[in-house]
Amino acid sequence: MKILGSNKITPVIIQTLKTHPLIIALIAFVVMFSVLIPARFLTPLNFSSILRLFVTYTLFALGPTIVVVIGSLDLSYVGIWMLGGVLLWLLMPILGMLSILVYPLLGLATGLLIGVIQVKVKIPSFILTLSLLVTFAGLAAWLAGGVSRPVREYAFITAPLIPHLPTAFLWSIPIIIAAVFIMKRTRIGTYLYAIGSNEEGAGLAGINVDKYKILAFTLSGLLTGIGLIILFQHLGGSAPVELKLGNLVWPLAAIVLGGTPLVGGSGGPHRTALGALTLAVATQGLYLMILLPEVVALLLGLLLVAAIVIGTRGLKGVTIT
Amino acid sequence: MDGSLLEVKGVSKTFDGVVHALDDVTIAVRQNEIVGVVGENGAGKSTLMKILVGVYAPDKGELYYRGRKVPFPKNPKEAAERGISIVYQEKGVIPHLQVYQFLLLGHEDKYVKLSRLQIDKMKKDAREILEEFHVKCDVENFMYELPLSTQKMVEIARAILSVRLEHGDDDVTSIIILDEPTAPLTIEERRGLFSDILEMKKNASFIFVSHIIPEVMEFTDRVHVLRDGKLVAHYDLSKEKITEEDLFRAIVGRESSEYIYKPEVKGVVSEEVVLTVKDLTKNGCYYDISFDLRKGECIGIFGPAGSGKSEIIKTIAGLMSFEGGGLIVRGQKVKADELPHFRLGRGIGYFSGEIGKELFLNWPITKNISIVSIEKILLRMLPVISFNAERKMAEKIVKRLRISAPSVNTDCYSLSGGSKQKVSVGKWLERNPDILLLEDPTIGIDVGAREDIYETALEMKKSGISMILVSDDPKEYSMLCDKIMFIKDGRIQKVLSPEEFGKVMAA
Repeated sequence: MKILGSNKITPVIIQTLKTHPLIIALIAFVVMFSVLIPARFLTPLNFSSILRLFVTYTLFALGPTIVVVIGSLDLSYVGIWMLGGVLLWLLMPILGMLSILVYPLLGLATGLLIGVIQVKVKIPSFILTLSLLVTFAGLAAWLAGGVSRPVREYAFITAPLIPHLPTAFLWSIPIIIAAVFIMKRTRIGTYLYAIGSNEEGAGLAGINVDKYKILAFTLSGLLTGIGLIILFQHLGGSAPVELKLGNLVWPLAAIVLGGTPLVGGSGGPHRTALGALTLAVATQGLYLMILLPEVVALLLGLLLVAAIVIGTRGLKGVTIT
Repeated sequence: MDGSLLEVKGVSKTFDGVVHALDDVTIAVRQNEIVGVVGENGAGKSTLMKILVGVYAPDKGELYYRGRKVPFPKNPKEAAERGISIVYQEKGVIPHLQVYQFLLLGHEDKYVKLSRLQIDKMKKDAREILEEFHVKCDVENFMYELPLSTQKMVEIARAILSVRLEHGDDDVTSIIILDEPTAPLTIEERRGLFSDILEMKKNASFIFVSHIIPEVMEFTDRVHVLRDGKLVAHYDLSKEKITEEDLFRAIVGRESSEYIYKPEVKGVVSEEVVLTVKDLTKNGCYYDISFDLRKGECIGIFGPAGSGKSEIIKTIAGLMSFEGGGLIVRGQKVKADELPHFRLGRGIGYFSGEIGKELFLNWPITKNISIVSIEKILLRMLPVISFNAERKMAEKIVKRLRISAPSVNTDCYSLSGGSKQKVSVGKWLERNPDILLLEDPTIGIDVGAREDIYETALEMKKSGISMILVSDDPKEYSMLCDKIMFIKDGRIQKVLSPEEFGKVMAA
């Protein structure tokens, strides 16, 4: 195939920028921080810090993004992290290195459970997954005896391979690609978008809505579980036994910032990755400006509000899809 | 007109300077009467009512209240001062309020003493008004606890009450607009509601907006017929004797020449039965419906709105369950509460002209067409969607149905109503179900697009797809159907051939 001439590429770029205005914001942030604090921002250390933050946000947010696409909400990811961490510590002496599989299995089971309850009892997924999160956190603290239990055996997962490039980032790439692929190129993904876009229409088009809703939650739990194999070590080789708001909020913020509307039907994992990257750059840049943490939180909050307004109303008549 | 309580003269209203929603319409309401305003969707009924309650301002026209010229109301409160209040078709009830709270909602300022609400006084007043209109419920009931027909009665009582409170005068005659009040009710509930309304007539006047002909004939004193924004007929039912067919023709305004049966374009019906409906019953909606649908046959279910025709087709589609009788698809009995996707698995597709019901508006044409035929666009080796195959499939349909769109990747929300409908029906061309259910397939689209949809339907029929049609437009029945079942109050009255149907409609 011949290389496309620039006259063909330009409209594609413009269209992409129109539907993804966040790219402009991301570039603006990079430029702004590079000009304001070049000595601190433009360093290999900062580059790798941003990627670390990106990995954390993305791997937590990928699964829930799928649930947001069908118009529901899944907050269980932090619970899976916490409970799985304690189970890992308990199982290590028995199962050895295989114990890490507790994460994908717990994720799968949790997702399936949420999906089935959601479909059968028809309660809002927000309340259901929030309750489950609190239950998991309580269970984790109880099993761990109230203190965080480190597991050292998995340090190799994030051992440096390439200088300044976090190994966790390398591992997260195939997971992101898999998530995008499932949502964009398979029947499952298409059906999930259909359910989020028009549930009645999905049923009329022959989609078993209940089955695919359960599948969405299961997929979310499984993706979170797979991501946690990397995240567990990435976040220090132990899981906390105390529920912190930040862990819950920032992945959600990445989803919303990326442009997946909470009503469902559009957006997706590729947008979440973009949202996570922008959030990571903004957070890291603002910290480097030596602002008070409270001020950083305030500014990030405002950024989020702006993103939601633009995402809902569209930019100059272009609907964000 | 002598003795008129309210009179609107020469009202016109255009939207965007182009569409004539209302053109020189005059209607009058007298003391203690029920006036019907009937017409098809888009005839201007709602626009007129919205002008009366102050939602829209008219471009032209005059309003007389008790013979005195008054300005048009600018909001519902001003409308109430002129004695007018409205009960909307739906979403008027607030379920979690108690009856007395709901009745007096918005008038609490009249019950405040020392900045506290006088609950006892509110309950006493509410009780009085309920007694006056014989509404059978307690003021402490929650609204959601009441049957739908009682909820409607409370809403009507509330409308009358708001007129009285705005006037500060208990003897004022209220003019209550009832916008399709029976839409959510079952056949039995409708009877009850109407006898209650006839009772209320002693204290109020009503404007009854509807397109359900038998109801209008039975319960109104006079009928105004609107068509395309114009007042086309006015009947005084106490003096003139007209039939339901007369009224129907006035509403749709069609010439008899349009009911032409063309057997040659309809294709051949085979003897093979694909669907058997036996004694199908859903209490309150329809009873003992039985028929056989053959391969390549199109059966029409014809009747006034509210006759149960829409419920029957929705039941077959799996959008509603049934209570008695059975559905047999290709020799297999199906469960009553099977969902639409199971029915599609059995080969029953459903197409409704209601925009947005089955379209994914934020999706491009390609995906809206491929959604029912994903198996056909997967790669040969892997369960992965081929965008190329998806685009080709969509391009084929777009070309065949002459869908006007910049490209197959255009999002559906930006298409015209007709194009949206064509995309919606076009996806079934590719899927080829055994049975296609059509509900109001051409509602709200222009003539040219209609012809394309008919053509497509006839083509599918010729290829052996069986169909069931439900519509408000008699012309569609004679164009598409091999057999037409008349249905009234949920029961089949008679079964006609298209020729007989044409004669009945043209008579």
